[in-house]
Amino acid sequence: MRIFDPHIHMTSRTTDDYEAMYESGVRALVEPAFWLGQPRTNVGSYLDYFDALIGWERFRAAQFGIRHHCTIALNPKEANDPRCREVMAHLPRYLAKDGVVAVGETGYDSMTPEEDEVLRQHLALAIEFELPALVHTPHRDKVTGTRRTLDVVAESGLGMERVLVDHLNETCVDMVADAGAWMGFSIYPDTKMDEVRVVAIMQRIGLDRVIVNSAADWGRSDPLKTAKTGLAMLEAGFTEDDVDRVLWRNPVEFYGQSGRLELDPVPGFAPAQQGPDLFEGNSVLRGMASRRDA
Amino acid sequence: MTDAWAFGYGTNGFADHTLDDALDVIAGSGYGAVALTLGHPHLDPFATDWRERAERLATDLDRRGLRVVVETGARYLLDPWRKHRPTLVDRDAEPRLAFLRRAIEIAAILRAECVSLWSGVLPDDVSPAEGWDLLVARLTALVPLAQEHGVTLSVEPEPGMLVETVADALRLRTTLGDPAAVGITVDLGHCVAVEPAGVVGALRQAGSLLRNVQVDDMLPGVHEHLELGAGALDLGAAIETLRELGYAGVAAVELPRHSHDAPRLARTSLAAWDAAARAARHPWTARAVAAVTENPDRAARLFAEAGRAVGRSPLDPADPQGYGGTVDDDARAAVVVALHDAGADASIVRALYDHGDDAERRGVLRGLGRIERAAGCGEEWRAVGLELTVDALRTNDPRLVAAGMGEFAATHLDDHAWRHGVLKLVFMGVPLAVVSGLDRRRDAELAAMASRYADERRAAGRSIPDDLRLIDALYQER
Repeated sequence: MRIFDPHIHMTSRTTDDYEAMYESGVRALVEPAFWLGQPRTNVGSYLDYFDALIGWERFRAAQFGIRHHCTIALNPKEANDPRCREVMAHLPRYLAKDGVVAVGETGYDSMTPEEDEVLRQHLALAIEFELPALVHTPHRDKVTGTRRTLDVVAESGLGMERVLVDHLNETCVDMVADAGAWMGFSIYPDTKMDEVRVVAIMQRIGLDRVIVNSAADWGRSDPLKTAKTGLAMLEAGFTEDDVDRVLWRNPVEFYGQSGRLELDPVPGFAPAQQGPDLFEGNSVLRGMASRRDA
Repeated sequence: MTDAWAFGYGTNGFADHTLDDALDVIAGSGYGAVALTLGHPHLDPFATDWRERAERLATDLDRRGLRVVVETGARYLLDPWRKHRPTLVDRDAEPRLAFLRRAIEIAAILRAECVSLWSGVLPDDVSPAEGWDLLVARLTALVPLAQEHGVTLSVEPEPGMLVETVADALRLRTTLGDPAAVGITVDLGHCVAVEPAGVVGALRQAGSLLRNVQVDDMLPGVHEHLELGAGALDLGAAIETLRELGYAGVAAVELPRHSHDAPRLARTSLAAWDAAARAARHPWTARAVAAVTENPDRAARLFAEAGRAVGRSPLDPADPQGYGGTVDDDARAAVVVALHDAGADASIVRALYDHGDDAERRGVLRGLGRIERAAGCGEEWRAVGLELTVDALRTNDPRLVAAGMGEFAATHLDDHAWRHGVLKLVFMGVPLAVVSGLDRRRDAELAAMASRYADERRAAGRSIPDDLRLIDALYQER
C-alpha cells in the first residue's frame, strides 16, 4: 500500500509517528498551516512557523523517507484576530516556495465577516500563484458553512477542480460532490469521521474526487488512519487498485495541480509501492500493532 | 543536469578501423551514438548485399545501445578523381541522387535519426542562381521519398558550398515549402569559421529545426576540423544553447582527418565534452543571472523557483544526500554571485536567506563561498555573510551546516566558531570533504576537541567516525 497523507500536522508529531507512517506505506504528505492549539499573538510567531514548514519539517520528514509538502494560509480561527491578520501581507513570498503545494487551510470557523474577507483573499492568492486551495469546513454548523464556502469559491473564479473541501461528513458531502470540488474526509478516533462511515460513503458515491486524510495534530488523533481506511476498504470489498486510487492517486492528482509535488523516493529509501505485497506481508498491520486502536 | 541529446563519434574519423572495430572503440569509450558515413571503408551503399548488411548493422547498433545518424560526405565514393563530386549543384547529379536515395533506404533500416547532406561547391560552369534552382529541384524530388520512408533529411551548411550558413539552409527549406521532413545540421566548428552570429547565433537560428549536430573545433576563417580545445569554439556556450533549445538529437564528433589517432581522440573528445557540459549553465540559470544583473529585486522570486526549474539532484552521484551541493544550490549560487558582481546591496542577500526555505539558504551560503573563491566579498557583504553563516551553523540541518562551512567560513569565521562548525559536521555524520580550508585552518585546539569527542564516543561504546581520526591525524602530520 502506498499512501499520500494529504492533511497531517507533523510539527505536532513525534519521530515515532514518522517511523510508523513510513512502515504503513506513507511516502509523501501535505502539512497544512493551521493554529498552534493556543492563539498566536503576533505575526512573527506565524513567520517562524511557516519557515519551519518549508525548511525544518521538510528535512525532518526526509530523514524518515517521507516527502514533505505544505500549504500556507492564515487559519480561519486567527483570521478573526487583528494581530494575526497582518500575516496576509507575507503570504505571497511563501506561496512561491518549492514545497508549497496549495493555499490553505482556509475557510470558516465561526463564519464571521472577517473570515469571509480572508477566505476571499486566500482564493485570490490561489489564482495569482496558480495553486489549488485547501478549504476547511467548520466544526459547528457544518452544513451552512459548507454551503457558504462553495458559494464564495464559485464567486472567486477559482475552478472547483482546484478546491479540496475538507473534514466532510454525511450531511454535507453531496453538495460538494455536486459542485465538482474534491471531497476530503478526516478520519479521527473520536470526532469528525471514522473509517467505517467513510467506506459507506465511498460505496454510495464512488471514488471520484474522494480524498482521505488523518489530519493528525496535537489532539487525540492517529497518523495511521489513512492505512486503516485502506484496510477497511479492502474488508468492504474494494480492490487494491481502489485503495491506491484513494490513498495515492487522488491526492497526487489534486495537489499535482500545483506542479510542485516531489514524489521520487528519498535517497536511501524504498520507492512507494502499489499493490498487495506490503498488505499481505503484513507490514501495515505490524506498523499499527503498537498503536492504540480507535 | 541530464541532457536529452546523445553524444556520438563519426565513423569518418575511424577510416583506419573496420566498422566493427570502430563501433567497439566508440561504444567502449562511452559514447551513446554514432554518425555513420556511408562508403569506403565502412558500409558500402552500393554493395550487392547492402540491405542484409544494413539489417545486421541495425541489430548490432541496438545491441550496443548506440543511436545513429547517417552522413553522406564520403570524399571519393562517386568519382575516384574528383572529391565530393558530383554534388546537388552539378549539372549532372544522377550518381549523387542515386546515392542519396540509397542513403534514405539505409537510414530507414537503421532507424537513423536523419540523413545529413550538404549542397556542394558551385562548379565553374554553374552560376549561383542556376545552382540554387538545381538544388531546389533535386531536393524537391527527394523529399517525398524521405517522407515515405519516415526519414528526415538534414541540410548541413558547409564553408565554401552554395549553402554555407544556417541562414542559407533556412532559406532553402522555405523555398522547398518548409517540409516537416527537412531539418538543419549544424557543425559547431563551421560556426567559428563562417557563421556571422557565431555558434550561439547559428544554433538559435536553427532552433527547433535542428536535427543533427557535428562537434569539432575550428579557427575563424579556416575550414579545418580540429580536436576540441585546439580552436576558438566556445564549447560551453554551445552546450548552454543546445540546452536552451531542448535539443534531443545526436551530437557527434566530426574529425575526418584524424583517423590515425582515433582511439585517443575518442577518449579526449568525450572528456572535453563532459567537462564542458558539467561546467555549462542550465538555461534557466543563464536567464536568472541576466535578470538579476539588470534588476536585483527579481532575485527573490527566481530564488524560490530554482529547484523547480533546474532540478534538485546532487552534483556528485556518489554524494546522494547532496552535502557537497546540488544542482539547484549551484544555480542559486550563480544568482548570488551575479548580485554581488552587479553591486547589489547586501540587504538583498540577507532577505534571500531570511525569507528562504532550506534550499534557498544553502544557495546563499554557496554563493558566498563562490564569491570568496573569486575576488572576495566587499565589506558590507562580508558582515552580512558572517551573520548568515553563524545562523546556519546554529541549525540542525546537515546540508545547511555543510553549505555554511565553505570558503566564506574558511576565510572569515573566527577560530572558535569555525572549529565548532567542523565538529558539528562530524557529529551529524557529514563527510569533512565538504569543509573548505581544512588543511590550512586545522589547529591543536581542533585536534584536542576531536580527541575529547572520540573519548566520549569510546565511553559510550560507540564507533569513532573516520573523519574524527582525520582531523587529529592531519594535525599530527604537520
